[in-house]
Amino acid sequence: MSETTPGPGPSTSGSWSYRTGDWFAVFGSSVTIVLPESQRDQVVALWALVDGGAGFDEVLDGLLSAGLSRVPGFVLASTDGSPTRILLRGAGVQATAVAADGDVVLDGAASHTWVERSLADLTSLQVDLPVAEGAAAGAADLPIVTGLVRVGRINLPPAVAAPLADEPVREPAMDSVMEPVIEPVMTPVSEPVLESSAGGAHLADSPVDAPAAAAESAPLDDEGPATEVMEAISGDPLSDPLSAPLADPPADPLADPRADPLTDSGPDGDPVADLEPVTDAVPAPPGDAPEGWVTPWDTPPAPPIPPIPSTPPGAPMSPSAPSSGPAEDPLAEPDTPAVPSSGLPPMGGETEVVPAGWPPPPPAGGALPDAPPLPIGSWEPIGGGAAPAAPDAGEAAPFGADHDGATAAGALSSPAAEPAVGSGQAVAKLLISDGQTVVVESAVLIGRAPEARRFTSTEQPVLIAVPSRLHEISSTHVEVRPGTGADHGSAVVTDMGSTNGTVLVQPGLGPEDLKPGIAVPLIPGAIINLGDGITIQVTRP
Amino acid sequence: MTDRIHVELHHGAATDVGLVRHANEDAYLAAPPVFVVADGMGGHDRGDVASAIVVEEFAHLDAERYDAEAAAQAVTATLGVIQERILAFGAEQRADGAAAGFSTGTTAVAALLVDGDSGPHWLIANVGDSRAYRFSDGELAQVSVDHSVVQELIDAGTITPAAAQDHPSRNVITRALGGSAMPGGVSGDPDYFLLPLAAAERILLCSDGVSGMVEDAEIGRILARCEDPRDAAEQVIAAAVAAGGHDNATAVVVDVVGLAHTDTYDSAAQRLSLEQKLGALP
Repeated sequence: MSETTPGPGPSTSGSWSYRTGDWFAVFGSSVTIVLPESQRDQVVALWALVDGGAGFDEVLDGLLSAGLSRVPGFVLASTDGSPTRILLRGAGVQATAVAADGDVVLDGAASHTWVERSLADLTSLQVDLPVAEGAAAGAADLPIVTGLVRVGRINLPPAVAAPLADEPVREPAMDSVMEPVIEPVMTPVSEPVLESSAGGAHLADSPVDAPAAAAESAPLDDEGPATEVMEAISGDPLSDPLSAPLADPPADPLADPRADPLTDSGPDGDPVADLEPVTDAVPAPPGDAPEGWVTPWDTPPAPPIPPIPSTPPGAPMSPSAPSSGPAEDPLAEPDTPAVPSSGLPPMGGETEVVPAGWPPPPPAGGALPDAPPLPIGSWEPIGGGAAPAAPDAGEAAPFGADHDGATAAGALSSPAAEPAVGSGQAVAKLLISDGQTVVVESAVLIGRAPEARRFTSTEQPVLIAVPSRLHEISSTHVEVRPGTGADHGSAVVTDMGSTNGTVLVQPGLGPEDLKPGIAVPLIPGAIINLGDGITIQVTRP
Repeated sequence: MTDRIHVELHHGAATDVGLVRHANEDAYLAAPPVFVVADGMGGHDRGDVASAIVVEEFAHLDAERYDAEAAAQAVTATLGVIQERILAFGAEQRADGAAAGFSTGTTAVAALLVDGDSGPHWLIANVGDSRAYRFSDGELAQVSVDHSVVQELIDAGTITPAAAQDHPSRNVITRALGGSAMPGGVSGDPDYFLLPLAAAERILLCSDGVSGMVEDAEIGRILARCEDPRDAAEQVIAAAVAAGGHDNATAVVVDVVGLAHTDTYDSAAQRLSLEQKLGALP
């Protein structure tokens, strides 16, 4: 693996294509994540992370912040360098990849947790997602660089059927209302494209024929706008046919006068049909894109987005890092007095889901259900590996940050958008019914006689004792602290294994019993009930 | 600070070279409100010097009582000084002709009485596998978490705490002060724990010559039996030696005796309790 040439090839330039479907996909410059329809709320939070340039591990943390069991399925892929890491979970979630070690087929149902693979020199990747019954999957491959879309299948690099000498002018004849519903089932279109990285000049005929067939036999099916993105975007298909970037106002290829076929489409034009020309336009790229907009069709010869590693290369990504090298020698000779703390001993019962060398992500918020349980009260990752603090959280691109080379470099190169726990930023204020008021800037431990376990001198928790005449409140009952990952900017509450439990009432929701050790994000207005007449009201700081 | 709660601490300490080793490389400090146990490592590499440095530096801390945050910073600074001194000592020894692999190091576990927002607290800090226990309501509970390979295996769920007792690498620690030439270098970063005083009427600090030789349950029985902390410390060490004395054993026992506001303490209360003791009152 190490002999192969590293570095982003054409396949890792971050340009994808997708087919429409039920699932949500967030395409970022370094990470792409796919979630089922049920995870709608989570998708929005993850979009903010991904678009902010968050790295793979950070996005994974955000994804799992509510616990793995809450996420029925997902696909997470890094696209910012070699090797490419891909995680799959869920029945029917399948990935087909072509990489240095040959063809790889991954099935998300193969593991109870998730399936992970690192693929060096990935040349193509296709992920198929299960289709809900009764729903029609899109059959057209739409290009995308970054953005949030509904997908049924995604391809890296774009499964663009680039017809060359074949029939370059066919597409204007396309009927504007046609929707290519029939499944062209072209065998991985992506592979031919990839093997000719300088442009699909020697494409086999077959992939080209498929879309053509789709176009010609298109049934008149206006139902199911294939490009249903988010409500805000799907409203006007014409104005945003690529449907990709949620927050990129100039994303309007229609403005490009050279995209003639697009303007020919009638007002009823299905976005999918409208987009068809884009795929065919590869041989004659439209050239200049509107300002601030990265055109996916620029991709093959010159990747539109220079691959900016948003994750520091090396450390956690390297699969060749020995998992327990330093720890093994001392194990062999008990007389050796000390080993580096960095060398965690191998986890027991390694399975395929955690390949050697992949350090377990730091437990964010709620511990991973599959991770070894943290001792109650331990809110620092065991092993002392604190999450790297963002050099400048303000750099992390918020919504609306554009993606042109210059600004993206600054934004994306900040490795982590999240400040470490205890950053000192107030995220909430707690009004306790005994009269105390606490601003949540670091971890706050509340209980009858709270104790803090295993902290560092820079992350001092605040201990708040509350009266409990009936001893219904445990000595260390709950913890409230600034959230990380997807919960960044809000406070999260965790029951610390209290004897009598904790009831949380969020505005607009019914009472919820907190599960010990599982962090729950707090909305201003929430009430935390510890029992014994002690309630905590959560307000803005 | 005028309403600082007066806390009276009684303590006892004991150490023994054990039955196997020739030198005692353990060291302790009992200077209220600061208590420390350090377990020097290295054998020929003068672990006794390293543990003595720990005691020396912590002795500078004992003058005043801190609030919890300042105390943790002061302890971190002290550990930094200790780390530098031990590394300098090692470099000096190598310059004077000691073997190139000369490396000395030590563990440290410290307990400081500090003022928290809600009354006095114990601030516990540890580096390595010397332990802090608390004994409260007749039950012994380990407070510190060892920085050791077996502890990491336990945390990872690979082995059970019971299996750790006999694990071949139970003496391999993952953090230490000093230890420059140890494989890969080790972190000297402490972990901190903050306990309200009421939840820790009695604190035991000990080296692994105690915790590795005597079961926790037995230590608990000894602490329950011995009211005087000096007896308790001696009995714990005696039990460690009796169990084989494979290593230097050191114990410091601290009792929280008075937990009362200074302004409410008066002679009337004292007299009353005396009369009760004498049976003058029903």
